[in-house]
Amino acid sequence: MLCKGITESFGAAIHALNTTKLTDGVISRSKRMMLDTLGVGLIGSRTAVFNKALMYSQSFKSDERSSVWGKSQITLPPPFAAFVNGIAVHSMDFDDTWHPATHPSGAVLPALLALAETLPSRPSGLDLLLAFNVGIEVQGRLLRFSREAFNIPERFHPPSVVGVMGSAAASAKLLALSPAECIHALAIAASSAGAPLANAATQTKPLHIGNAARRGLEAAQLAQMGLEGNPAILDIPSGFGVYYKDYSPSAMTVPASGDFKWMLEDQNIAVKRIPAHLGMHWVVDAALAARAKLENTARNFDLGQIRRVILRVPPSKYVDCPLPSTEHQARHSFQFNASSALLDNKVTVSSFSEAQMNRPALKELLSKVKVETPKDNHPSFDKMYCEVEIETDQGQSYAARCDTFYGHWRKPLSQEDLVDKFSVNASSVLCSEGVEGLIDVVGNMERVRECSILGSYLRLTSSQQEQCYSLQRL
Amino acid sequence: MISTLQKTIRPVRAVRGLHKSAVEVLKRPDPEDTVTASYGRFISEVKPQHLSSLVLHRSKRMVLDSIGVGLIGSTTDVFELALQHCQHMYAPDDISSVYGRRGSRLSPTLAAFVNGVATHSMDFDDTWHPATHPSGAVLPAVLALSDMMPNSKPSGSDFLLAFNVGIEIQGRLMRFSHEAHNIPKRFHPPSVVGTMGSAAACARLLSLDHSQCSHALAIAASLSGAPMANAATQSKPLHIGNASRLGLEAALLASRDLKASPLVLDAVAGVAGFDAFYEDYVPEPLESPNDGHVFLLEEQDMGFKRFPAHLGMHWVADAAASVHTLLVGLGPGTVSPSQVQDILLRVPKSNALLDGEVTVQSFTPAALRRPDILALLSRVRVEHPHDNPANFNSMYGEVQVTLVEGEILKGRCDTFYGHWRNPLTNESLRKKFRNNAGAVLRSEQVEGLIDVVRGLDTLGDCRDLLSQLQ
Repeated sequence: MLCKGITESFGAAIHALNTTKLTDGVISRSKRMMLDTLGVGLIGSRTAVFNKALMYSQSFKSDERSSVWGKSQITLPPPFAAFVNGIAVHSMDFDDTWHPATHPSGAVLPALLALAETLPSRPSGLDLLLAFNVGIEVQGRLLRFSREAFNIPERFHPPSVVGVMGSAAASAKLLALSPAECIHALAIAASSAGAPLANAATQTKPLHIGNAARRGLEAAQLAQMGLEGNPAILDIPSGFGVYYKDYSPSAMTVPASGDFKWMLEDQNIAVKRIPAHLGMHWVVDAALAARAKLENTARNFDLGQIRRVILRVPPSKYVDCPLPSTEHQARHSFQFNASSALLDNKVTVSSFSEAQMNRPALKELLSKVKVETPKDNHPSFDKMYCEVEIETDQGQSYAARCDTFYGHWRKPLSQEDLVDKFSVNASSVLCSEGVEGLIDVVGNMERVRECSILGSYLRLTSSQQEQCYSLQRL
Repeated sequence: MISTLQKTIRPVRAVRGLHKSAVEVLKRPDPEDTVTASYGRFISEVKPQHLSSLVLHRSKRMVLDSIGVGLIGSTTDVFELALQHCQHMYAPDDISSVYGRRGSRLSPTLAAFVNGVATHSMDFDDTWHPATHPSGAVLPAVLALSDMMPNSKPSGSDFLLAFNVGIEIQGRLMRFSHEAHNIPKRFHPPSVVGTMGSAAACARLLSLDHSQCSHALAIAASLSGAPMANAATQSKPLHIGNASRLGLEAALLASRDLKASPLVLDAVAGVAGFDAFYEDYVPEPLESPNDGHVFLLEEQDMGFKRFPAHLGMHWVADAAASVHTLLVGLGPGTVSPSQVQDILLRVPKSNALLDGEVTVQSFTPAALRRPDILALLSRVRVEHPHDNPANFNSMYGEVQVTLVEGEILKGRCDTFYGHWRNPLTNESLRKKFRNNAGAVLRSEQVEGLIDVVRGLDTLGDCRDLLSQLQ
C-alpha cells in the first residue's frame, strides 16, 4: 500500500488547529457564511422537500435532541437534525458557492449546531468558528487534489464528495478527537461520499447536502467509538481518489508557531442573490442589463416585440433546460432565468413558484430563447461569462455581457446587502426578535459564551409571540 | 432498442413546422421509454407467481445462509460498535429486531444497518458473479421493513418475492458494464449495487407504484458508492450495513413521494447518473415480468463461503488442502513446518486480494499467533501468472510447496467447493448454518429457523421467521 502520509497529515492538522490560528480575515468571512447559511436554511424550512425529510426523520427516537431550524416545537436526534437542516439550506439552491465548485457551508454548519446542542462541554462561539473553518478548509484542500474539480461537474455532485469529508473533519474538531480518530473519521466518511450529478436538478439534490452533514457527523461519532477505516484513505487512488479521474493529493501542515494560511482568506465564497444554480446569476445580470438597454432606447417597450433571445453560456448539460417543468429544473435552467429576468426585471424567490412558472407570457418568451456555447466560454465558475442578446421584430439588437455578477467572490455582497438577504429570508419564518437575535449572535460570534444559544433563536418562529417577549426579558 | 428509436422519430416528423428549440425538446425520450422507467415498472408489476421453483429454491438457501452468517456476525467487535452507536445516538425502538440480541429492537433503518454489518462482519456471506455480496444488502432491510408493517405481516411468498427483486436488480445493474465483471478496483460493489437492490426490494414490499419505484432507485443512487480502500478495514461491513439501511430509506422517502432523477439509470451525456460509478456503461431496459422474463438467479447460481475470508482465499485454501493431503501421505502424523522450504502461490493480480503479501484475515488472534503458522508465512512467495484473470468466474489458485529434501508438490484449484459451479450441498449448507446460528441461539431456535426458511414460500405470515432471529 503506497502511503505518502497525506491522510496522516490531515488527521494531525485537524487536531492541531486551535483558536489562536483563526485570523480576523477568516473570522469575518466565515461569519458572513454562517449568517447567510442560517437565513437560507430558515426560508428553506418551508419547502416540500424539507417537509418530506422532516416527516421521515420524525420516526426516529432518541434521548438527545437537537433543534430544527424554523420550528419551535420539533426536535430531532442530532444526525437527523443535521440532515433536515442541511436539506433546508440547499432546498432552494440559495446557499453559498466556492471555487473550486461546491456548497461548503450547508454540509458543515447544520452538523456542528446539531452536535453543539448535545455536548456537555458546551462549546463557545469561538469553538464553533474553529470547527466550522476546519470543515471549510478540508473541503477546499480536497477540491485541489484534481484538475477535474476546477470545472463545473459532470459525474459526482461536489457537495456529496467533499461535503461529507468537511462535515466529518468539523465534527471531529468539535468533538476534540485525537489525530488517529480524525484520520478514521475521514476514512469512514469517504465511504459515504459520492452522489451522481443526475439528481442535481431534482427534488433529491438538497439531500446531498443534508446527507453530507448527517453522515460526516456520524463518521466522526463512529470514529470516536473506535471504528476504523483505511488510514491511507486520501493517499491511494482506490480511496478518496475514486471520485476523480485525475487525482494528486498533497499534505496539510499546521506550523507549530506562526500563522496558518486558511484557504478562505485567499479564495472568498460567492453569496447568491437568486435561489438558483450559480451559473444563473451571470445570465440574469446580463439579461437585466440588456433589458435596460432596450428600455432606454425604445419608447413604448413591449416584450411581445422580442423575436429572439440568444444566450451565450458555457457548456453544461445539467443547467441547459429549455422547458423546465419543476421548480428544481427551473433553478437549473439558463433559459428560464433569462426569461424571468426579461419579463419581470428581477428574479426572486417567488419567480420559481408554480403560478409564476406557468404564466403564458413566460412560456412564450421561453420558446424564443436559443442557447449558444462559444468555445471561449469555459465551464468554470472562475472563468465563465454570459451574454444575452435580444433581437426585436424591428431588427434591432440589444446585447449585454456579464463577467462577474454581484455576489461573486470577485465582487462580494456588501455587508448591508448580505444582512438584508438574511433578514428577508429569516423574517419569512422567525419573529423579529429571532431575526435580530441571530444577526447579533453571529455578528459577535467570537465573543459568544455558548454557541448553542443560536438554537434558541432559530426556534423563535413568528407564531410564538409569547416566546419573543419572554426572551426579551432575559 | 429499435422500438425506442421508432417512438422518438414519430413525434419529430409530425411537428416539422415548429420552431427549432421546441423541436429539440420533443426529441427527448418519452418518459415511459427510458431504462429507468422500465425498472420502475418491473418492480411494481412482478408477482410471486413469476418466481420459478429453481429461483425459490436457490433464494431460500441464500436466506438461510445470510441469517446464519448474520447471527454469528453479531458476536464481532464491529457489530457491537455499530449497535452501541445506534443505541447511543437513538433510543431503543420497539420495531425491528437485531440479530441474536434477545429483546434488542431498533428503528427499521437502524436494524437494517446493524444486521447488515453483522452479515458482512466476517466476510462470510454469499458472493455472486459479477462480483458482489447480494444478500446482506437486501435481507436485513426486508426483515426490518416486515417488522415495521403495521397490521398484517407480509406472507412468506411476498417476502421471498421482495428478496428476489433485490437480488435481481443488483444482477441486472452489474451487467451494464464490463468493469463489473472483474474484481473491483474503484468502488466496492455492494456499496454500488447493494443500495439499489435494497431500495428495489423495499419498494416491492411496500407495493409502491411504478413511478415511486423508479424514484426509489434514483434516490438510492445518491446514497451509493464507497471506495475499495476501505474494503480491507473494519469499515467494510458498514458498506453492506449502509447499503441495506439506505436502500430502505430511499424506498421510504419515495413512498412519501420524494422525487429524483427520472433518468438515473439511463446514460445522459454530460450529466452522470448511476453511470458515475463505472468507466464503461451500457444500460438495457428490463422487460415486463409477463414478457418471458427470467430471473438471473435461474441462470447464475450463488457462491457460498466455507470459511470467513475473501472469496479468493477459497481457491488457495482448496489448493493448499490438496497439497496437504499429499504431504501427509508422505509420512506419519501432521505436517511440520521444518519440512517446508518454500511455498509459492499462483493467484490473480489484484490489490484487493493480497496487496502483495499474504495476510491472514478473519481468524482468531490465537490462531494468528501460532508459531507454526508464522513460520510458514515467512516462506510464502506470490506470483501472478498472466493466464490467471482477476475474475471470480475464471480464476484459479495454485499452491506449490518445495520441501527441504527438494521434492516439489503442487496443488491446483479451479473451482472451490461452494463456488457456483460446485455448489454446497443442502447438507453442507445446513451444517454451516447450524455452526453459525448455534453460536448465538438455542438449538430449538436453530432447527426452527431451518424449518421456517425451508417452507418460506408457503408461509402465510412471515412473523414465524421474524420472531426467531433473536
